[in-house]
Amino acid sequence: MAAAAESDNGSEVGPTGDSGAFASPVKARERAPESEAGASAATASESSETRVDDGNIQEAESSLREGLSLNYEEARALLGRLEYQRGNVEAALRVFDGIDLQAAIQRFQPSLSEKPSSKRNNKLRSDSSNSGSQHAASLVLEAIYLKAMSLQKLGKAIEAAQQCKSVLDAVESIFQRGIPDVMVEQKLQETVSKSVELLPELWKQAGAYQEALASYRRALLSQWNLDDECCTRIQKRFSVFLLYGGVEASPPSLASQTEGSFVPKNNLEEAILLLMILLKKWYLGKTHWDPSVMEHLTFALSLCGQTSVLAKHFEEVLPGIYPRTERWYSLALCYSAASDDEAALNLLKKSLNKNESPNDINALLLAAKICSSDYYLASEGVEYAKRAIGDDELLDGHLRSVGLHLLGSCLANESKIASSDHQRSLLQAEALKSLGEAFSLDRHNPDLIFDMGVEYAEQRNMQAALKCAKQFIDTTGGSVSKGWRLLSLVLSAQQRYSEAEVVTDAALEETTKWEQGPLLRIRAKLKAAQSLPMEAVEAYRALLALVQAQRKAYGSLKNGTEERDNKVSEFEVWQGLANLYASLSYCRDAEICLQKAKALKTYSATTLHAEGDMHGVREQTQHALAAYLNALSTEVDHVPSKVSIGALLSKQGPKYLPVARSFLSDALRLEPTNRMAWFYLGQVHKHDGRLAEAADCFQAASMLEESDPVESLRPL
Amino acid sequence: TTMSSAAQAIQSPKAAVDSLAAILGRALPESLAAAGDPAAALLHDDGVARAVTGRLRGAGSGAGQDALCGWLYGTFQSGLPALQLAVLRFVPTLAGVYMSRAVSRKPLAGFEAVLLTLYAHAVAQRGSGEAETVTLPNMAKPSVYHEAIKPAAAAPAAKTGKADDPDVAELSPALEPHGSIRATRRGRIVGAVLELYHAKIGLMPLSSKMDFCEFCVAWTGKHRSDDKARIASAESGEEKWRRVPMPWELFQPALRIVGHCLLGPTNSDQLRTQAARASQCLYLRAMETMDARAVLACRSLVRLSQMVEEPIPEPSFAGVEANMAELETMRANILSGKK
Repeated sequence: MAAAAESDNGSEVGPTGDSGAFASPVKARERAPESEAGASAATASESSETRVDDGNIQEAESSLREGLSLNYEEARALLGRLEYQRGNVEAALRVFDGIDLQAAIQRFQPSLSEKPSSKRNNKLRSDSSNSGSQHAASLVLEAIYLKAMSLQKLGKAIEAAQQCKSVLDAVESIFQRGIPDVMVEQKLQETVSKSVELLPELWKQAGAYQEALASYRRALLSQWNLDDECCTRIQKRFSVFLLYGGVEASPPSLASQTEGSFVPKNNLEEAILLLMILLKKWYLGKTHWDPSVMEHLTFALSLCGQTSVLAKHFEEVLPGIYPRTERWYSLALCYSAASDDEAALNLLKKSLNKNESPNDINALLLAAKICSSDYYLASEGVEYAKRAIGDDELLDGHLRSVGLHLLGSCLANESKIASSDHQRSLLQAEALKSLGEAFSLDRHNPDLIFDMGVEYAEQRNMQAALKCAKQFIDTTGGSVSKGWRLLSLVLSAQQRYSEAEVVTDAALEETTKWEQGPLLRIRAKLKAAQSLPMEAVEAYRALLALVQAQRKAYGSLKNGTEERDNKVSEFEVWQGLANLYASLSYCRDAEICLQKAKALKTYSATTLHAEGDMHGVREQTQHALAAYLNALSTEVDHVPSKVSIGALLSKQGPKYLPVARSFLSDALRLEPTNRMAWFYLGQVHKHDGRLAEAADCFQAASMLEESDPVESLRPL
Repeated sequence: TTMSSAAQAIQSPKAAVDSLAAILGRALPESLAAAGDPAAALLHDDGVARAVTGRLRGAGSGAGQDALCGWLYGTFQSGLPALQLAVLRFVPTLAGVYMSRAVSRKPLAGFEAVLLTLYAHAVAQRGSGEAETVTLPNMAKPSVYHEAIKPAAAAPAAKTGKADDPDVAELSPALEPHGSIRATRRGRIVGAVLELYHAKIGLMPLSSKMDFCEFCVAWTGKHRSDDKARIASAESGEEKWRRVPMPWELFQPALRIVGHCLLGPTNSDQLRTQAARASQCLYLRAMETMDARAVLACRSLVRLSQMVEEPIPEPSFAGVEANMAELETMRANILSGKK
């Protein structure tokens, strides 16, 4: 009878006689690598050669039962395992189908779940009857587990999951108080662990995500006596499932949480918790390093902007995992994202040291980027950017364009603090050249177009600036507020005020109320520039109403943060109104506004300067001078005060002309496009009899007059 | 007013199907009319998806009088969760086409009406002024999954008083109500709609996610020329989807969706491939401005896309060998006994 079963088992075994079939496990193991994939196992089992029909199973089974005094389930379990091991998944399945798990559990239950009265009474466990029934239980449970595996390989995930779940249910009903640590047969424990690990994956494959979620939690929260590696794998997969699964899940039940413990309230929190636990486990040496854990955590924490927390985890990673320059770069990204540019730059400097990775493109670009936001780091940024684009391997157009863009920005910044006119004009030319090259590589990058526009405008090439501003609005669909402002200011510089107003109005249409501040300010200044004082006052009033409403809505007065948030401060509004009234010689109104401004910000160069203007209007020269000097003592480089002092002194007779000249030259060093400074410098030259120089200055002033925007282009 | 009349008409899945049939006519598969569960068919039927997305992508779609937009609007307004899912299914195409065309400042009142109603739903769901936050775990406290881990010796001194303050991170800022789409709020509104989509993404069919990845690639403007050819040939309309501005409020939800497509449970290699491409493009886009936060998140996705998932352990037959030998002997005995 048995011989029939064997020969039917396939030609691979061949006609080698009676023992052939059972000798084949060796062969089967040799074959195992090929048949690892479920698909190949399935095709193997579909072939007629490996077919086992029910008749044969029964024969084989009965012979086993007779010979080994096994019961029905055990015999089937053994046979099925053999088939599975050979890759005959379908055959295995047919064998396993006959096992009645419920009946088997009933039999195991009394002997195994009998709890010893005393915990010390462990000897009972080693009773032969007990270990015998454990062995039997182990066989049957393994069979069900293998059945689940077989079903999975045949693509029947739901049935597989149901089978796998029944293994766990059975184990839970046998061991009602969880699996004891040491008393379980190794094979049984292995089956339990494998099933615990398998179940959520099967539910996932079946698309039953709620069940998957529940079975992950069941795996991690019940006592299965899993080893560290197995538990780690489950935690890892669960965290991934929580992080990316897109399953709406209720958090783990409160019943299982103790007081004072951290209770995750959604998927993301639970995922982050698990990932942090995994890192700690690794840190404590309980599990091997898995790079994916850190990547998942990086993704999760970057999404919610917690890169400073992420930085701590990068710092905790033991040496030898990441090359140190890579770790420094990652840390620099974390700090930079957390607005700690100084820390980021320090790390990048370490990394870019000639003994480390001086040509690391990513580090160079990030360093250049950080430097581009600070005038005093501009020349350093230029170096980094030049090194980045100098790299021959950097043929990638994307990164090359990024490098050139950063180079241009840093050069433009450097030109602002250049010590000579000559150097300044060199840097400015170089800046535009770099930006232009970057643009030729990437014509659709709005940030690049914007920076080019600002640079052209600052160099008073308003025609080119206008083109860039329009192009920026085209590529962003008008969705970025600073683009509208640039366009409006460039038009104002061209003295196309009514067009500038149209742009401002269009921008207001596209902007929500809370963000209209800077646009309303431009509008007020445009009105003032067109000598429409009443409309300008009206515009300022609207701006004031907005600013005050914002203050009410957000509570506190946070001076200083407005600039960053692109909000207008109330101080600025009063100051602007004061300037407007002063220009109309409405001294009392101007003074009232100045008082309001002073109440908001006591020591402000702008306010002190405006006070000086008021005194000037009343021809109180000494008071005016004192106010301007006070302004300079609060802000050493306050250009308007320097210009005003120069202007005032130029009218005080020949004795004061050299001093006036020095103040005005100083102002022009800081702000070469200051029209008034050129004008008064011309006056000084004229009074001194240097007519040719005077003429040059007046010409410069008149040229600039035609290209002065109503407010500064930086910061936009 | 067109929109509200459509809203009144749709009160049941059957009505939604009838109304869609009136708009799309023969483009719809015939099976739809007879579907036992019309809402599920609207969500899952590939033929329906092709007909609707084809029309959404078509020239001139999304205008104020676009009947299909009216249908999406009305169907979502029905308030029936199953029908709302069927509308969300089209968010990738809706948002994709809308964002691309909005850059060109075309009138898209139809698309905007649908997006605004989805946005209003998100606002109502969240509560006005409520940000979506994440509380980071404090490892010094125990949780269901771990025992308290004592911080390193030096740490407590440095952080006295701060230890009990949990780190609360903002995942999504508060949503202000909007009655129209102003250009400067476009990214936020569409971003919030993508968040709404992401919240239901586990229920979305594969083709919907594929659509999103495709548009995401186009949005970044970072696909190479060979990709462009693919994208162009993939659609009959030949419309070139423009690069769009991607402020963080749009970039972040897009990244979360791509993360799901790449690493969420799926059996589709095609989706994973497409999502890997999208994350590569997002990475390049992030590098363009060197936005550190975006670079970190995208870099991780790209790296994860290149890692091989650990397979589920196979059953081990180690130790079985002994059993086998035993079994074999016994079996031999049986056989010899019989003979």
